[in-house]
Amino acid sequence: MQKEAAIREPLILGHKTYHDITEDVCRPIEDKAPKMWYTLFGIALIIGLYGVGSICYLLGTGIGVWGLNKTIGWAWDITNFVWWVGIGHAGTLISAVLLLFRQKWRMAINRSAEAMTIFAVFMAGLFPLIHMGRLWVGYWVLPLPNQFGSLWVNFNSPLLWDVFAISTYLSVSLVFWYIGLIPDFATIRDRAKKPLSKKMYSILAFGWSGRAKHWNRFELVSLVLAGLATPLVFSVHSIVSFDFATSVIPGWHTTIFPPYFVAGAVFSGFAMVQTLLLVMRKAMGLEAYIHTKHVEYMNIVIMVTGSIVGTAYITELFISWYSGVEYESYAFINRATGPYWWAYWSMMTCNVISPQLMWIPKLRRSLMFTFFISIVVNIGMWFERYVIIVTSIHRDYVPAAWSMHFPSHIDIGVYVGTIGLFFVFFLLFARFFPVLALNEVKTILKGSGQSYKESPDYHKHH
Amino acid sequence: MTRKYWKGLEELKETPEFIKHKEQEFPNQQTIEEFLSDDKLSETSTARRDFLKFLGFSVAAATLAACEAPVTKVVPYVNKPEDVTPGMPTWYTSTYYDGNSYASILVKTREARPIFIKGNKDFGFTKGGVNPQIVASVLGLYDSERLKFPTAGGKVASWSSIDKAISSALKSAKSVTLLTNTVISPSVKRAIAEMSTSLNGESGSKFQHIQYDAVSYAGMREANMANFGARIIPSYDFSKAKTIVSVDADFLNSWLLSTEYTGQYAATRNPDAAWMSKHIQFETVLSVTGSNADYRGMIKPSEQAAVLAYILKGLGENTGVSTELNPSAKSAADVAIKALKKSGKNSLVVAGSNNIGVQQLTNKLNEKLKSYGTTIDLSNPVNLFQSEDSKVAKLVKDVVAGNGPEVLLMMDVNPVYSLPNGDAFAKGLKKIKTSVAISSYADETASLCSYVCPGFHALESWADFEAKASEYALSQPTIRPLSDGTASALESLLVWNGNAKRGGKDSSVAYDYIKATFATKFPTSDFAMAVHNSVMSQALIPSTLVYTDAKIGSLPKSADWEVSFYQKAGIGTGVHANNPWLQELPDPITKVTWDNYITMNPVDMKAKGFVTTYDQEHGLNLTTVKVNGKSVTLPVYPLPGQALKTIGIALGYGRGANGEKIGRAAFQTKEYGGYELSETGNRKPIGANVFALVSSGTTFEYSGAATVGSVEGIYPIAATQIHHTVMGRHSIVRETTLGIYQNNDKEAYNPAHTLQKLDAHGNHVEAPVSEFDLWDAHPVEKIGHRWGISIDLSSCIGCGTCLIACQSENNVPVVGKDEVRRGREMHWLRVDRYFASDEEAAVGTRKNKETFSFDKAEYAAENPKVVHMPLMCHHCNHAPCETVCPVAATTHSNEGLNQMAYNRCIGTRYCANNCPYKVRRFNWFNYPAYKKFTEVNPAQDDLGRMVLNPDVTVRTRGVMEKCSLCVQRIQSTKLAAKKEARVIADGEFATACSDSCPTNAITVGDWNDLKSMIRSKSEDKRAYQALEEVGVKPNVWYQVKVRNEENSLLSDLQVVAHHGKKQH
Repeated sequence: MQKEAAIREPLILGHKTYHDITEDVCRPIEDKAPKMWYTLFGIALIIGLYGVGSICYLLGTGIGVWGLNKTIGWAWDITNFVWWVGIGHAGTLISAVLLLFRQKWRMAINRSAEAMTIFAVFMAGLFPLIHMGRLWVGYWVLPLPNQFGSLWVNFNSPLLWDVFAISTYLSVSLVFWYIGLIPDFATIRDRAKKPLSKKMYSILAFGWSGRAKHWNRFELVSLVLAGLATPLVFSVHSIVSFDFATSVIPGWHTTIFPPYFVAGAVFSGFAMVQTLLLVMRKAMGLEAYIHTKHVEYMNIVIMVTGSIVGTAYITELFISWYSGVEYESYAFINRATGPYWWAYWSMMTCNVISPQLMWIPKLRRSLMFTFFISIVVNIGMWFERYVIIVTSIHRDYVPAAWSMHFPSHIDIGVYVGTIGLFFVFFLLFARFFPVLALNEVKTILKGSGQSYKESPDYHKHH
Repeated sequence: MTRKYWKGLEELKETPEFIKHKEQEFPNQQTIEEFLSDDKLSETSTARRDFLKFLGFSVAAATLAACEAPVTKVVPYVNKPEDVTPGMPTWYTSTYYDGNSYASILVKTREARPIFIKGNKDFGFTKGGVNPQIVASVLGLYDSERLKFPTAGGKVASWSSIDKAISSALKSAKSVTLLTNTVISPSVKRAIAEMSTSLNGESGSKFQHIQYDAVSYAGMREANMANFGARIIPSYDFSKAKTIVSVDADFLNSWLLSTEYTGQYAATRNPDAAWMSKHIQFETVLSVTGSNADYRGMIKPSEQAAVLAYILKGLGENTGVSTELNPSAKSAADVAIKALKKSGKNSLVVAGSNNIGVQQLTNKLNEKLKSYGTTIDLSNPVNLFQSEDSKVAKLVKDVVAGNGPEVLLMMDVNPVYSLPNGDAFAKGLKKIKTSVAISSYADETASLCSYVCPGFHALESWADFEAKASEYALSQPTIRPLSDGTASALESLLVWNGNAKRGGKDSSVAYDYIKATFATKFPTSDFAMAVHNSVMSQALIPSTLVYTDAKIGSLPKSADWEVSFYQKAGIGTGVHANNPWLQELPDPITKVTWDNYITMNPVDMKAKGFVTTYDQEHGLNLTTVKVNGKSVTLPVYPLPGQALKTIGIALGYGRGANGEKIGRAAFQTKEYGGYELSETGNRKPIGANVFALVSSGTTFEYSGAATVGSVEGIYPIAATQIHHTVMGRHSIVRETTLGIYQNNDKEAYNPAHTLQKLDAHGNHVEAPVSEFDLWDAHPVEKIGHRWGISIDLSSCIGCGTCLIACQSENNVPVVGKDEVRRGREMHWLRVDRYFASDEEAAVGTRKNKETFSFDKAEYAAENPKVVHMPLMCHHCNHAPCETVCPVAATTHSNEGLNQMAYNRCIGTRYCANNCPYKVRRFNWFNYPAYKKFTEVNPAQDDLGRMVLNPDVTVRTRGVMEKCSLCVQRIQSTKLAAKKEARVIADGEFATACSDSCPTNAITVGDWNDLKSMIRSKSEDKRAYQALEEVGVKPNVWYQVKVRNEENSLLSDLQVVAHHGKKQH
């Protein structure tokens, strides 16, 4: 067992026992759902269905129902895609990278962060699909043997790399998440009284019996998957950034993009985790497990990645001037002072200034403030993608083709709809899945629990 | 022959079975009767499972069969018609005349359907010159609202009953008037003369023929009457004019015989020739002609006389006319005086005004310069535009007063629409006992007539023309008449006069009559040969006309605000208002489609509080303009170069205001399809008719005093270009002056792009862009063909003909106003128009690199220089679109083409985003079927679909498309050469755009052919590639625009900067 310094704040507050942890996590699954859950689920479902309706209309009529035009071939669709992929970064980072770094505090948040990741990647994956003019032949992006002659995919295209990157990321994240869930499902299975839920959870638990051998394999697989997932955290958004970086469009063609996108993704992902967890801990009574310390740690990550992102913005500006390329420098002058100045300055305010407030300990420990900033950051990150995509192509090389982008109500419907769908998934997760990795949390009870830290036993040893 | 083959082991082993059946080809030859009569048959039963299997299979099969795409039937020829080979085009020579434009043309037919029109470069004085209206006119043939049957009192009637009624009305009536547009057909003239003789006898006055054009040139004829004693319009030869001064004459777009003048003008604009013309334009509205001028003065319409008087004064001639001018016009007039003095008789002054006095001053100036005999040919008068304004005015007055003729025959005219008092005329028309309209549509006038006799479309009929004294031309039918109930107008005149009998659909009456006319004119010539060439030249009698001074007629009075009415390239006088291609043709200057509007200088607009910028969601302000007591409400368009305190409004809009059936595309449509309806339930017209605002004095005057109202709300504008300057991007547009061009080497005005690199010693050195390359070269250099385009910005006048030709050739869908507004027009070729800003010394050249302000550069100067730049797919050898397509739907051909496989495209649009030139077009909707486009897209109409080029795929929803460099034409050219076992000759292959360009600004060809035009153009001193430094290695070159002007600022920048650089 790992020992921890006494001056470190405990990670589990209150004098919890192992049984308390089980109870705290399983109770919401076993009890009837509160009214609040139904209300939220209803709202999310309605918004989600509106999005589904918008998508059906889009698929039935044509991409023209969006606000795109001859100059601006991507706008909200790819903005939303990158935004959701970015959000989908936190989960794997928390569960894989922090696991490798032995950050114990991750145990309280990794389950829901991973769930968020998977749902966010679902939403993200939707956009490249529906943005295609002919979705029904979309499978052509897969290098499948075919009867069309010698037709093969174009391995030069970053869009193809995207297909591989996103699908790999989704499958690894899904497996990683599921493996972690197995012991917890087993716990729920063992406690379940109703035959149906017992049956369901026993299927989900894959026959977990909790033997030492199982735990040994579990640890091993987790480590292997963490090793696999860690490079993916960096590769996915690097590849997404190649969609822009490998192009010839000023404002897109930027070598700084891969690290800048990854930092931005972690930044927005952590912000989304904050948004969700701050509500969840309250609603599900998990204050003892997810508390100020966790929030503060995540705020520090936000602050650091926010600073990286800010540095990247300023580097971009500097390079655009330093490069001496006419189009490049205009692209950035246009971002800051052109017709979309408001989007640029929203991005700058939300992503550069707001995370710097986290230097103040009082603020980064304030839950209300964190909640507010977490939303601000995700607004800012949406604008970042919008700024990169739309303000770069709306005025690129040939001024006669310059244009403006105005979203249609279908653009808005699809975007809002994915937020609705995301919450539908997340609320279902919160209702039926253990939102805390309860068996993992138990492993730190002894080392980081408040009881242990305050026990005379502990002080005797040191 | 020792080897033996067996059908099987049975044969080898020679089994008894085999031997038995050896001779029997089909085994088990049991007849159906035998089978059915088998008693055991009834004992067999189909098991329940088998039954279900069969049932399941049948249901599945039937379902699958029902899911199949609808079957379209192709009917093969049983007997191959002569001249029609499926898959091969047949070209016919012909002539185009619609009362406003004239040209010798070639008509391409496929499977006996005319599908493409281009200028005839080999025959006819127009020498291949056409305009967008002529090229687009082929679509009019397939308009489903064109009348199919004659009507009497609004009801379909038979020709025989109508002919009988009209003939007897003609005989019994006391007064008969035939109102036509200018008749240039010798045969029709002969028929009219015969009618006149038979109705008038020797000296009667019962029959009268009046010619009336929508836009009148009577002022010119009257002025020439005063100065020369002949009511003529002479021929102008711009190709001989070293100095061209035009006072509000848009001779490259609409004025007189613009199809002839464009080619002549372009010939003088070659900076490499012995001389280059100097063109000074004075005008109110920035026109196509004005945008090409070397110097341009902004004048109010009332200042036209003053400009001419000022120049005359400068040449030492006092006219007694005020020479008061605004500063902009004065400086241009001073340049004109200097230039005219220098060029003397090799000068040409033209004026667009229909005011007799202004035209007299023009004559005086031309006489002073001695241009008569050099650039002006009095012995070869133009027969177009013989409108007699005074006779028309009298007829209109009579009709309005109810004293009209008893019988009014109208042929190819639409006075109810195009008269200033059309409403009153319409009321009077109803009182006329017998009114007859020979018209293809139940238009504003025809719908009010007692008899409507639909004529043939020009492509269905025989006709002859004499546009100028020097040339007799013919047009021939290129298709059998589409409907049974139409008849040649000439035949109708002959029949009503009792000179011929109806011949039905395949009548030869008109043909015989024209042939007879031909025989009298050219007794020794072969008619077939004449039809083949479409023209015959005629000898001219040298003119004996001598100029005499005459009292200058009354001149237009000035007013605080003045209006000028003009014609747009697409719509002209409104004859083609139902043509969706032309409605969607971006105006060459404003780039607005589907509307007319009030043009006003942004300086004035700001003072009056109108918005001066617009985009997809931000429209322009509406306001009401009052002219001659009549008002019209239209949006106000910010047009730089518009004279201050003036407005301009295009004629030809507001057709079908009472819901007349003038064509499917002539009306406003709603966002989700269907027509916008007015309160009365009629389809709403596009734009507003301003013919009603034209003033009629001695002549019709297309300008006058106006009052401009204040802001009245917002109106959406559908423009294809919403940014108007090139932002000082020298890499896109290059402009220089003739002086700089002649006295300096290439580096001054067309510097090569260089980038810095490290040499072997680690020093930074400048190296040409071509040395930097990320990619392997495509194997297109020196091997096989490498197709390329070169566009001369000095020759391009921005008329838009290429755009329409491309649309016609490549089945480019029409998307309607709402989609254009959203920035989704589908044109494969666009003509970018750039205004110079105050920050630029010339378009694309920054005045001062240090202080250059992007903010200020976004706005055009008050009277800007203009450059037109046609832009299509650049077929880059390192195409950025090709690398990013995930499914390789766009690839490079081994002939240098960037090709698009529509059926491989999945529609990610990444290629379009990554195109530096932004030339790719995405199928946002299913244009051939989606309800939004039913009214506008000809491909959604059974008849309209016939105009589609069978060589080019109609694209489906969700795929990308773009210029293919007319790959279908490349293929057919290659095939033709291959069949004849020869190499392709230079110039043999032409794209639709290069083929139709009236100024030959576009050159295409095989770049690997070292002797080709394209090769030499690409290696010319003026050649550059747009955005060369991006490194995409395009196959399109541009030639630097050269203006024949003094521009000391530009000279300082290009010459001094260049020499400065050299000294380093």
